[in-house]
Amino acid sequence: MSGAEVPASRDPGEELAAVVATRRLADRMEDVAVEKAMRAGWSWSEVAEALGVTRQAVHKKHARKLIEAGVRLRRRT
Amino acid sequence: MLQVFGRYVRSVIERAAEEAQEAGSRTIEAEHLLLAIAAADEDTTRELLAWAGLDHRAVGDALQREFEHSLGTAGVTAADQEVLRPRRGERRPSDAGTSAKLALERGMAAAGDKKDLRPAHILLGILELRAGTVPRALALAGVDRRELRARTQAAISDDGRQGPPEKPGKASR
Repeated sequence: MSGAEVPASRDPGEELAAVVATRRLADRMEDVAVEKAMRAGWSWSEVAEALGVTRQAVHKKHARKLIEAGVRLRRRT
Repeated sequence: MLQVFGRYVRSVIERAAEEAQEAGSRTIEAEHLLLAIAAADEDTTRELLAWAGLDHRAVGDALQREFEHSLGTAGVTAADQEVLRPRRGERRPSDAGTSAKLALERGMAAAGDKKDLRPAHILLGILELRAGTVPRALALAGVDRRELRARTQAAISDDGRQGPPEKPGKASR
């Protein structure tokens, strides 16, 4: 990721599309970042705390994906 | 004809679910339907898309360009290509999202009678979307959506006049 500056407002269609795209980008960034953290040995609780969500939420969203990606997961503590 | 249409819709939705999964989407959206149509072995829609310079790959490229362009609008340039690359979802979505529902609704509504439904009606429904990812991606790819929609409507009415579709003897443009 590099710079993020809010540009002067444009056509509403462009701005709405930017909302959609940044949401999607945030989802992908979350996938990448969570995988990196888990590979680095973070626990579910630590990742959840860093994201500001519950451990259950982060586990539900990412556990299967990480297992499929071959990440060795720490116990759910 | 309704049977042919039903089979076509089922196969397109099934393929669209795969496309959604590949893109890491939790729902099937209009862009996944368009990708599915572009991948389908159906003459009328394939010819219409080819007229616009679109095949499965071109649609995928246009969608990726739209994503990056819209990020640019937000002032975001993602230098990390890993983040821009779609990540396959862990499960295949079964629910249609709002944009796909809207496209299907509009496409079906364009047929006066159920028995007049043709595969191209799904494409027509997608082309009826005025805002959102698909129309923006088409515009960025230089596709004249209105013209393509008009051609789709024309292809559907030609088909209707011909009666049951036969493989040879395509309607002339």
